[in-house]
Amino acid sequence: MSPPAPSADSTHSTSGATPHLSLGQQLVANGCVTARQLDLALQRHRAGAGKSQEDEHLVGHTLVEMGYISQSNLLDCLYQQFARERDAYQVVNDNQPVIQLEGVVKILDDRRVLDAVDLAIPANRVTAIIGMSGGGKSVILKHMVGLMKPDQGRVKVNGQILGQLSARELTRIRGRFSLLFQGGALFDSLNVHDNVAFPLREKTRLSETEIHTRVMRCLEEVNLVGMERKFPDELSGGMMKRAALARALVTNPEILLLDEPTAGLDPIIENAIHYLICDTYMRTRYTMVVISHAVPEIFKWCHHVIALHRGKVLFSGPSHEVGQSRDPVLRQFIHGELDGPIQVI
Amino acid sequence: MEDGMSVDLIRHVGSLTLELVRELGRMFLFLWEVLLSFFMPPFRWTNLLKQIHFIGIRSLFVIALTALFAGMVLALQGYYTLARFGSEALLGPAVALSIIRELGPVLSGLMVTGRAGSALTAELGIMRIREQIDALEVMGIPPLKYLVTPRVEAGLFVLPLLTVMFDVIGIWGGYLIAVRLLGMSAGTFFGGIESSVEMHDIVTGLIKSVSFGLIVTWICTYKGYFTRRGAEGVSHATTSAVVLSSVLILVCDYFITSVML
Repeated sequence: MSPPAPSADSTHSTSGATPHLSLGQQLVANGCVTARQLDLALQRHRAGAGKSQEDEHLVGHTLVEMGYISQSNLLDCLYQQFARERDAYQVVNDNQPVIQLEGVVKILDDRRVLDAVDLAIPANRVTAIIGMSGGGKSVILKHMVGLMKPDQGRVKVNGQILGQLSARELTRIRGRFSLLFQGGALFDSLNVHDNVAFPLREKTRLSETEIHTRVMRCLEEVNLVGMERKFPDELSGGMMKRAALARALVTNPEILLLDEPTAGLDPIIENAIHYLICDTYMRTRYTMVVISHAVPEIFKWCHHVIALHRGKVLFSGPSHEVGQSRDPVLRQFIHGELDGPIQVI
Repeated sequence: MEDGMSVDLIRHVGSLTLELVRELGRMFLFLWEVLLSFFMPPFRWTNLLKQIHFIGIRSLFVIALTALFAGMVLALQGYYTLARFGSEALLGPAVALSIIRELGPVLSGLMVTGRAGSALTAELGIMRIREQIDALEVMGIPPLKYLVTPRVEAGLFVLPLLTVMFDVIGIWGGYLIAVRLLGMSAGTFFGGIESSVEMHDIVTGLIKSVSFGLIVTWICTYKGYFTRRGAEGVSHATTSAVVLSSVLILVCDYFITSVML
């Protein structure tokens, strides 16, 4: 068994969470598999097809293949661990957020889409941004990666102000991000394999063999093996999202931004995507920002919630505290009520 | 009341003028960035070859067909016009000079605009509205260098080649009508061409074709790259790209002809 992964939490905003363990260790600690089963799975995994230590995160798939745990139990075990961490999460003010927006104002077509927005994204946590349609959620995401520039205020990534960076520095910072676009943004002329391989071919000097290995690993993670020769227009909505997620993951980003990953999907696929995001988080501990309309479902799948309304931040805090908010706008939004301060009809 | 209408009219004209100046500024800045990117690595040869294939090879048939019939109709019309003045012997030079100096580059440019230019705009426009251009940027791949540069380079490279091909096929079309149909002697037809076409004429045609290659790819990629407002935006961008490219080709043709005469 590999040594425990270094705690991603040591400087961040958690109280009461257990130190982060590797995927296998988490499964053993939660009683999902035995230590013996894990050892056997690791041995088989490393021996099979010359896979390296790097591939250890696929041990979950090996455990499933060997019949020690079912796929749904595996995901559920990971979710239970995630839920414990989520419930123990507290915001600590002295913690250095990975992304900060300070007094950001954005006016589009004479409309103040962002109105002096201040927010902070905690590192190595899943943050959900919720709000009404047209409330500026995607605009915030585009500011975080420098696709849009604020009319006023500033955006900081790890303390660096994006607006003051040169084009080269901005490209370097962007290398730490991956963004899953709302529509997937897969390239129509490339099949799934080549879409996922695209950032590696363009931005790295890996050999085709290495690229193929990494692509197939990512496709395995999102359960799209066998679909690699399909083109985007041959995929269903859920497959498209999963292929786009594989492309976002293939570069091993530090920060993963997901723009409505479950929009337009049926409840089963929506649930599957949530499990997939949880699974990805538990294995990688990336900082994740998810824009979602799946309220209140999304509160189960994130540590931190930021609620936007009319270009302002209405709430920012742990997901388990959202329900306690007395703000009438937030309460109406969470419960989807027609009566209240938000006039929709 | 009338004063108010006049003020509104002046305001409207002023706002249109400002928008035109802004648009021209954006277009030239775009062109400047594309031209600079020609010399900046990485050089993606595969992308360039793909675009040469798309703009050049796949336009061959339509260019050949246009050239053949343009040459044929020119010979047919020219023969009967020249016959009125007893100058049928000048048919060869008339066909060749018209094609080499004017019809070759202009019709090649217009055909490429219709076949490839519209497709360039639509492709980039769809990439824009489906956020694929944003995706490139987030991946740290400059979209202008990746998407636009190879298309403009390919246009500059293939238009002169297509024009030369147009010239050859067009003259051959003229030959078919003049010699095979109307019974002129091949010696008279080609002898006249040999003695009247100069290097200057060929160079003029090639300069035009390079300019048209730049115009088509610049305008069409610009319109596609900055497409907005969904499917309707793509349709609008494609139409305006084709119209603007075609008009600019004819305007530019006049000015180059004036300078090179």
